[in-house]
Amino acid sequence: MPKWGMVIDLDKCVGCQACVVACKEENNVPHGSPEEQRTRREIFWHKMIAVTRGKYPHVRTELLPMPCMQCDHPPCVTVCPAKATFRREDGIIMQYYRRCIGCKYCMVACPYGARSFNYKTQEERPYHHQDEPPDRKSREPWPFPTRTQGVVEKCTFCFHRIDQGLKEGKKIGIEVVPACVEACPSQARTFGDLDDPQSPISKLLASRASFRLREELSTHPKVIYLSR
Amino acid sequence: MGGKRDLRESLSEGKETNRPNLYLSRRKFLRLTAITGLSAGILRIKKDAFAIQSIPSGSKGKWIPTSCLNCSARCGINVKVQNGRVVQIKGNRFSLVSEGQICPRGHIGLQVLYDPERIFTPLKRTEPKKGREIDPQWKTISWDQAIEEIARKLRSLRESQTPHQLLLFSGLNSRSHEDLISRFAEAYGTPNLISGEGLEDEAERAGHWMADGHFEPFVYDLDHTHYILSFGADLLESTPPVARWLRKWGKMRRERPIRTKVVDIQPRYSLTASKSDEWIPILPGTDAALAMGIAHVILKEALFDQEFVKHWTTGFEQYREIVLKEYKPETVSTLTGVSPETIYRIAREFAQTRPSLAIAGKGALAWPGGAYVSYAIHCLNALVGSIDIPGGVLYQEFPEYRGIPKTEKDEIGQKGLGQIPIDFRKSELYPAARVVTNQIPNSLIEGKPYPIKIAIGFNSNFNMTAPGSRVWEEALQKIPFYVHIAPFVSEMARFADILLPATTYLEEWGYEHSSPGAGFVEVRIKQPVLKPIGESKSIGDILFLLTERIQGTVARAFKPIGSCAEEFVRLRTSSLLPWEEFLKKGVWRGGGYEYKKYSKIFQTPSRKFEFVSGHLKILQNEKKKGIGQGRTLWPHYTKVNWLGDEKQYPIILFPYQPLLMFENGSQNYPWAQEIFLPMQGVGWASPAEMNPETAKALNLKDRDRVWIESPFGRIQTLIKISEGVPPNLVCIPFGQGHTSYGKWQKGIGCNPNEVIGIDFDRISGQAAFFNTRVKIYKA
Repeated sequence: MPKWGMVIDLDKCVGCQACVVACKEENNVPHGSPEEQRTRREIFWHKMIAVTRGKYPHVRTELLPMPCMQCDHPPCVTVCPAKATFRREDGIIMQYYRRCIGCKYCMVACPYGARSFNYKTQEERPYHHQDEPPDRKSREPWPFPTRTQGVVEKCTFCFHRIDQGLKEGKKIGIEVVPACVEACPSQARTFGDLDDPQSPISKLLASRASFRLREELSTHPKVIYLSR
Repeated sequence: MGGKRDLRESLSEGKETNRPNLYLSRRKFLRLTAITGLSAGILRIKKDAFAIQSIPSGSKGKWIPTSCLNCSARCGINVKVQNGRVVQIKGNRFSLVSEGQICPRGHIGLQVLYDPERIFTPLKRTEPKKGREIDPQWKTISWDQAIEEIARKLRSLRESQTPHQLLLFSGLNSRSHEDLISRFAEAYGTPNLISGEGLEDEAERAGHWMADGHFEPFVYDLDHTHYILSFGADLLESTPPVARWLRKWGKMRRERPIRTKVVDIQPRYSLTASKSDEWIPILPGTDAALAMGIAHVILKEALFDQEFVKHWTTGFEQYREIVLKEYKPETVSTLTGVSPETIYRIAREFAQTRPSLAIAGKGALAWPGGAYVSYAIHCLNALVGSIDIPGGVLYQEFPEYRGIPKTEKDEIGQKGLGQIPIDFRKSELYPAARVVTNQIPNSLIEGKPYPIKIAIGFNSNFNMTAPGSRVWEEALQKIPFYVHIAPFVSEMARFADILLPATTYLEEWGYEHSSPGAGFVEVRIKQPVLKPIGESKSIGDILFLLTERIQGTVARAFKPIGSCAEEFVRLRTSSLLPWEEFLKKGVWRGGGYEYKKYSKIFQTPSRKFEFVSGHLKILQNEKKKGIGQGRTLWPHYTKVNWLGDEKQYPIILFPYQPLLMFENGSQNYPWAQEIFLPMQGVGWASPAEMNPETAKALNLKDRDRVWIESPFGRIQTLIKISEGVPPNLVCIPFGQGHTSYGKWQKGIGCNPNEVIGIDFDRISGQAAFFNTRVKIYKA
C-alpha cells in the first residue's frame, strides 16, 4: 500500500496562492466574506500563512502554504467521538460528513489549523458559481457537489483524483496529482509515495534538507517542506 | 513512553479497522432494523453516508483552449466545460511564455464569468445628472435601440465635419479588439484613442527607446540569466507577464545547475523582496542614482564588457566621464540610503556573475523623470553586455497576421486625424509620448485643445485606476454623450449615458500575442467556451454592428474584414496556421529566438546602443521645450519633485499592486478578495502599512481608523503596523475602494488613486504614482 505524501519546496515557492485558489476551484470549497474573515469562520482546505520576524530593515517573512498535513499519527482521529474522521490505508485522513456531529474536537486537536467548520447556511449550490441555482448533475465527477452545514471539513489530498487515477492505471504523482500540485506555477510541489524509495518524491527528499511543521508533537506529517 | 505507545496503537488500530468494522456493524445493524421494520430513513442515511467514498461517474466535460484576460499578459488557458457550465481553468501547455502555467487570477476567471452582478442588457441613463453618488436610474433598452441611438449621434458628429471630437478609451482588451478599435478610430477620423498604457509602462518603454530605439517593454531571458538586479519591480506580483515570472522563478532557483541570485531593490519589503536572496531598501525615487553609482564601480574597476561596448555602443566616453565625476558610491549613498559597501558589492557581483540582468519596474519608473531612470538602469545591461544574448535582455518579436485592406480615408476623416490629439502626445508638453492617459481629465475639463462631444469606453475604468480619481470624475461629467462597454457597471460606467453589456473574455473571439512575452513569437486564440450569457456581445461584434449602422466610410472600412469578430480573427490568423488546428491547440508559435542580432537590432540613429541618446538629440532640435539643453541627453538622476509640502505632509505615500488585483476594472471576486494580501495575512481590505516608529510618532495603533490626506483629497482606512515599511512611508495596495457595484467589492478598503496627484514623466507621458506626500490622522 502506498503512503501518499507531499513535498513543498520553499525555495521555489513564489507565494502566489494559486494552490489556495485551485483547491477551492477543484473541491468547491465555499468562499468567505468580510464578516466571516473577521469572525474567523472562513473555510480553507488549503491556506497560506505568513510568519514575520525581525525589525526594519532586518525583517524576514516566510510564507507557508499549508494543506492538511495528513499526519501519520493524527490527533484529530484520536479525539473524534463519532469516528467521523479516519485514516485511509494509504494514509489520507478523511472526514466523514454524515457521521460528523460538529463538536469541533478535531479542530481543537489539530495543531495546524487545517480544519474548518462549515457555518454556512445549507445552500445547495456550487460555490464558485456565485449565485446560480443548484444542478447536481453538472458537478460530476466531483465528489462534493454541495456542502453540509454544521460539519468539519478538510483537505483530502484530492483523494478523488488519486482513486480515479488508480482505477485507470495511471501513475500517481506523475500523471495524477492533487489540484494544488498541478496548479503550482513555480512547480514547487511534488506528490507521491513516501514508502517507495524510487519515487521522485523520495529521491527529492533524500537530496535536500527538509523539515515538518511542529515535529516535536510527533504527529508525523506527510506534508514535508524543503528549506530555502 | 507507555502512554505514547498506547496512542500509537490505538491510532494504527483505527487505521486498519475503523472503516470496515464500522461498515459491517452498520450493515448488521441495518439488517436487524430492516427485519424489525424500522424506518427506511436509516437506509437512506447509509446510502448517502458512503457517497463520499465513491466518485460518481458522469460527463467528463470538455477542455477548450482559449486565452486569459485578467491582466495584460494574456496567458494561454484551457477551460473545462461540463454540461454547459465552466468548471475549471488550467494553463495551456502549448503556450511556452509561461510554460503552460497560470497565476491564481487565471483560475478566478470562473468568478469573472459567473459574477452575479454582471449586466446582460443594454442600459440607458434616465437621470441626467452624473456623479459618483448619483444613481443613473438605468432603464433597460433593446440592442437595436441602443445601437441606433449611438450610430445616430456618431453620424451627425461626422456630418458636422468634426470627427476628432470623438474620444475612445481602451482599457484591458484583446489584441484583436485593440486592432478593431484602432481601425474604427482611423476610419471614423479621430486621433483620440486613449489606452491605459500611459498608466503602466510608458516610462520603461521610453527609456529603452532612448538607449536602443525600441519603444517596447523588455523581455528578459530568464532561462539563462545568473544574476538579477531588480529596481522597484514587484517581479512576483505585478511585473508582466506575471505567470512567466512565477514559473521561471522555480526554474531559476532549483531546476538548473547554477542558481540565479535575485537582488530586490525597493523601499518596501514586498512579497518579491521576501522571496529574493537579498532585499536592499532604498529611499523612494532614487533608483537612477543607485544605477549610476553601480555604473561608477563597474567603470572605475573596468568590469564592463569591453568587446560589446567597443563595437556596439556610442557615447561611451561622455557617459563614463559623467558617471565617474558625479556618481561616486559615497555621494550616491547619501542620496539613496544604500551604504557604499553595498553599492560596491552588488556592482561587482552584477558585473562578474554574467549573464546578469538589470530590471526596472514601476516602483522605480512611475515618477517624473521616469524615462531617464529606465535609461540609467538599461545602461547597466549594456555595460555587462547583456543585450540580445542568452540570459540577457531580448527584443520581442511580433507575428505577421494576414494583412487587411487599409481604411479608405475621406476628406472629413483626414481632417479629423490631422488634429492635435487631446492628450498632447508628441507635442512640446510630452515630446516622445505615444499616449498620455492621465492628461485626459484636464483636457476635458478645460475643453482644450477642443471640447469632446462623444466618448466611448471599451472596458476602461480610468477613474479607478489612474491617479486623480476625483478629477477624472469631474472630467467625465463634462462629456455630453458617453457610451461605456463593459461586462459590469464599473466606476467609469456609472457616468455613461448608454451602457452596453460586453462579454467576458471567456465568451468571445479574439487573438492574443505577447508583449509582454518571452521574445519568440506566440499567438494564442481566444474562443468562446460557451455562448454569451444573457444578451451580452463581444466588443468586436458590437463594433461590426455599430459601423454597419453608421454607414458611409466607416462601414466601408469594416466590410472587407468580415461581418463579425469570429470572421475577423479567422481572416487575420489564416497566415499563421489552419483554423481547425488553431481551435484545437490554441497556440501558434513562430521559430525560436535568434540571439545577437547586433547588426540589425538597434533602431537608434547610430544603429548602436547609445549612452547619449540620438533620438533625444533629434527631439531637442525639433522641439526645444520638452527637452532642455545639455545634460539631459544621457541618463541621470533628478531630485524628486514632491507633490505636497514636506512640512505639512510629512509622509510619503507609496502604493503597490498586489498579485490578486484584477486589471479588468473589477474586484468583485471573493476568491481573490479573501486572500488579497498574503504578506499581511488579510483579505477584503487595503490597510495603510506603516513602520511602528512612524505610528508611534503619530500616536497611532494597529487597526486604528485613519484619514490619509494629501493636497488632492483624503481617504479613510485602517492602520497596519508592519516592519517591512521604512519610517515616514505609508504603503497602500491598489485594487480596493470600489464605489460603483458589487457586493464583494463595494465599500471595501480605499483607493489610493483618490489622493495621488496628477503628475507626469514629461518625456514619455507616464503618469507618476509615487511622488505624493500625505498626512495621517485619526478618523
